[in-house]
Amino acid sequence: MSTSSQNANSWAKKQPGKSLSERLIGTGLFILATISVLTTAAVIVVLFSESFQFFRQVPLTEFLFAPEWTPLFADPRYGIGALLAGTFLFTGIGLIVAIPLGLMTAVYLSEYAPFEQSVRVKGIMELLEGVPTVVFGYFALLFVTPILQSLIPGLNLFNPISAGLVLGFAILPYISNVASDAMMAVPRSLREAAYALGATKFEVVTRVVFPAAISGIVAAILLATSRAVGETMIAAIAAGQRPLLTLDPRETIATMTSYIVQAATGDQPAGSLASRALFSVGATLFVFTLTFNILAQRVVERYRERYE
Amino acid sequence: MIQEIAIGHQTVRREPVPAEEAVVQVQNLSLFYGKHQALYDVSINFPRNKITAIIGPSGCGKSTLLRSLNRMNDLVPGVRLQGKVIYEGIDIYDPQVDPVEVRRHIGMVFQKPNPFPKSIFENVAFGLRLQGQKEGLEQAVKQALERAALYEEVKDKLGEVALRLSGGQQQRLCIARAIATEPPLLLLDEPTSALDPIATERIEELLLELKKRFSLVIVTHNMQQAARIADRTAFMHLGVLIEEGPTNEIFTVPRDPRTEAYVTGRFG
Amino acid sequence: MQRGLSLESSKSPENLRRDRINRVFARAVIVPTVLALALIAVLILDTIYDTVSVQVVEVTETSGKSFPLGQAWNAEQVIRLELLAQGLPEEEVNRLMADPEEMRIFGLRNRVELMWATQDGPLRWVVSSIDDERVSNYSLLEGLRRWNELKAGLQENQQLRLNPWLDQSFLSRDPSRNPISAGLRVALFGTLWLLTMTLLLSVPIGVGTAIYLEEYAPKNALTRFIEVNLRNLAGVPSIVFGLLGLAVFVRGMNLGPTLAAAALTMALLIMPTITIAAREALRAVPDSVRLAAYALGATKWQTISKVVIPATIPGIATGVILAAARAIGEAAPLLLVGAAAYVAFVPRGPMSEYTVLPVQIYLWISANLSEFANTAAAGIIVLLLTLAGLYALAFWVRRRFRVEW
Repeated sequence: MSTSSQNANSWAKKQPGKSLSERLIGTGLFILATISVLTTAAVIVVLFSESFQFFRQVPLTEFLFAPEWTPLFADPRYGIGALLAGTFLFTGIGLIVAIPLGLMTAVYLSEYAPFEQSVRVKGIMELLEGVPTVVFGYFALLFVTPILQSLIPGLNLFNPISAGLVLGFAILPYISNVASDAMMAVPRSLREAAYALGATKFEVVTRVVFPAAISGIVAAILLATSRAVGETMIAAIAAGQRPLLTLDPRETIATMTSYIVQAATGDQPAGSLASRALFSVGATLFVFTLTFNILAQRVVERYRERYE
Repeated sequence: MIQEIAIGHQTVRREPVPAEEAVVQVQNLSLFYGKHQALYDVSINFPRNKITAIIGPSGCGKSTLLRSLNRMNDLVPGVRLQGKVIYEGIDIYDPQVDPVEVRRHIGMVFQKPNPFPKSIFENVAFGLRLQGQKEGLEQAVKQALERAALYEEVKDKLGEVALRLSGGQQQRLCIARAIATEPPLLLLDEPTSALDPIATERIEELLLELKKRFSLVIVTHNMQQAARIADRTAFMHLGVLIEEGPTNEIFTVPRDPRTEAYVTGRFG
Repeated sequence: MQRGLSLESSKSPENLRRDRINRVFARAVIVPTVLALALIAVLILDTIYDTVSVQVVEVTETSGKSFPLGQAWNAEQVIRLELLAQGLPEEEVNRLMADPEEMRIFGLRNRVELMWATQDGPLRWVVSSIDDERVSNYSLLEGLRRWNELKAGLQENQQLRLNPWLDQSFLSRDPSRNPISAGLRVALFGTLWLLTMTLLLSVPIGVGTAIYLEEYAPKNALTRFIEVNLRNLAGVPSIVFGLLGLAVFVRGMNLGPTLAAAALTMALLIMPTITIAAREALRAVPDSVRLAAYALGATKWQTISKVVIPATIPGIATGVILAAARAIGEAAPLLLVGAAAYVAFVPRGPMSEYTVLPVQIYLWISANLSEFANTAAAGIIVLLLTLAGLYALAFWVRRRFRVEW
């Protein structure tokens, strides 16, 4: 090219140093972005390598079917069932509270509340989200439990009922946020069609908006379940740290998370079987929450596609 | 008088701008977005210290042509280009040329005013600071604002955030920002389409004033605007430069039937 | 049956029923919000209530005097009165009070408080010693109800008082196995250290990730993978991060139960939150502004660093403050990386042992002593006030500095 030689010392010539530093910045940012991937990888490697060691010493049948979880006893048993039952009670009671309240809040936000009111309601939900869970645990143990003990005979000091009740409020915002977004995404034309057929607002909400937003609602519940299963401090403080294979909500139980807290506040040397058991509980917890999260994302993606 | 009759991608030419009077020469420029061809073999010389308007219906490639002049199209992924754009004796598409340097020499003003969320002063000083200028910034900013006919309105609030200005003031600020580094060539992409008639009139007056010092290329969909301010006008249609020449000739005696249809308002 | 529009048909029992359901429902949907608000209100009021208790205390020889508010206006004056009352000569008292070391020792052994009610009368300064024996601790209502009965039953050397647990010195006292002298100082410093270190680590990573994803990342499978991964990471329970920190930082890197291990753990935990906030802020910057910078001859990094990032600072700052609020309230993962240990000293550096506010509160709650519930309540009020301050700050930053495009 004839102009090349002229360009060689012209004002517009590329400076290799400049483009190099530009590229280095891009690469540096990319490396920062991979840290999140490395974190996930590290979580998986840590949890599963320790669990792998655990299962070399403890048969899977023991893990799945033994009736007790007592790794620190002289005659240790490793039945995850006891922790799953506790987690189930705690989470279940939480969801029984959170689902109706959260969905009602979502309906209120998307269908009833005038703008200023909805800002206020969202503020209250943010407030609930912002309360540290150790505070909720304190409240469950020292305020809710004494009241419930006077109502429910045989209720233990540490029990999944009061813990679950308070958990319900702690996860309520997750349900109301996601579900109200889904309901607001339902096209106005659908609502108007139902009104034009003579439906009352209640009928529009329950028969048109709700079914149309069902996948978003399911996603909201799945996300809240994931949060509940992973919720630690409320369970550790108010539900108990004593693994018990029972479905009686008056008993003291342990969730997977509260067991981890109990084990961690004790002292277990690295590499001991009890420490590996701790990681196997962590792996189980991780698998549960991840499954719920991925399911929720799948469901959300599906309804996004439908309306976009 | 040289005359060519439009056949295919050929352009109707009156006396073209002689090379020595041209600030930019576009030679056989074709541009592709992926598989879609947006410009077909465009050749045109833009004159020094004049205003050249590029008109045509939307989607005709007039903005694409304008953005080829300072390599803004490079920012769009998948763009390919053939031909030459000669500016100050250099083909700006030569592989050795740094597009960033090209943009420092050629100013651009956009359709919607887009001031930075900084103070008025910092907006105008931005280009100067990029070029490493540290001294005499006050003087240069003042001069640019005066040339953009904005200084009197803002001289007491140079530290205020530029986003608080009115739309017309914002656009004049963007012009001041573009000319602060004294680029010989200023590209304007429908600079008044987001403004009200009064603000538009002020900008037009300003452009007529600016051509004493700068060469201007303006893309506009407003034919009255082209007629009012442009010395030369180029008409584009479907990526092809149909006709180019002195403005009054394009508007009064168009030679291509498509130009005639467009300037008489039959399409576009 | 006649079909058609008539006043009769609109008043049919069926329609009246539908109308009633509709109206009841419209009222009912606000109930959960009211419940949520009530829960928050009750929670706060109950906690405040728990910060005061009625105590019967058996005092040792060196303490137990109370002075009316009129005699002393601050703790220093009370200490002087107390020392004089112990029979020390004036010069000795002056010497002791001028010696910071002596005062520190006095502070470790004693607590000076303005109490709302004592058996000697309302609003009196009380000096208590940590050697005082707590005979009993009653909740506020019960204690006040039985005030006269308790007063009548006092033995010699015993005192009855309304004990405010959350007082000025609560923040400056060290932790203790004795509730009356347990304070938040070590936990406050631990929280401050941990928060600073966590933010120093997580803000560059989180914001860098956001910049990469918004400004650099090509639209390909790897980018999508990073995005999905971030979303999943944000959903991983915090206690699992604790296990990660325990295995990798405490044991693997051999950092032990130190601030460094905790900060690394917390940084990974809140990084996705910061990234998400920063991405939102970056997305709010219109492309036209980027183009304007490019048109002036800015390189990509100049465009990002000189135009885009300055415009996003309010948004990112808000996100960082909210992430900080989350980090301050987080206890679970820290229990696994060392915060649960009994720590008596303020951290001196990244390799120090530490504890933080919520963990200290958890330890008080789980201690089997009713007075620790009062201490925990006082700690919770401090924690909630800190969070309220941070939320207010975030709100203010968002209001004050938001860029209106």
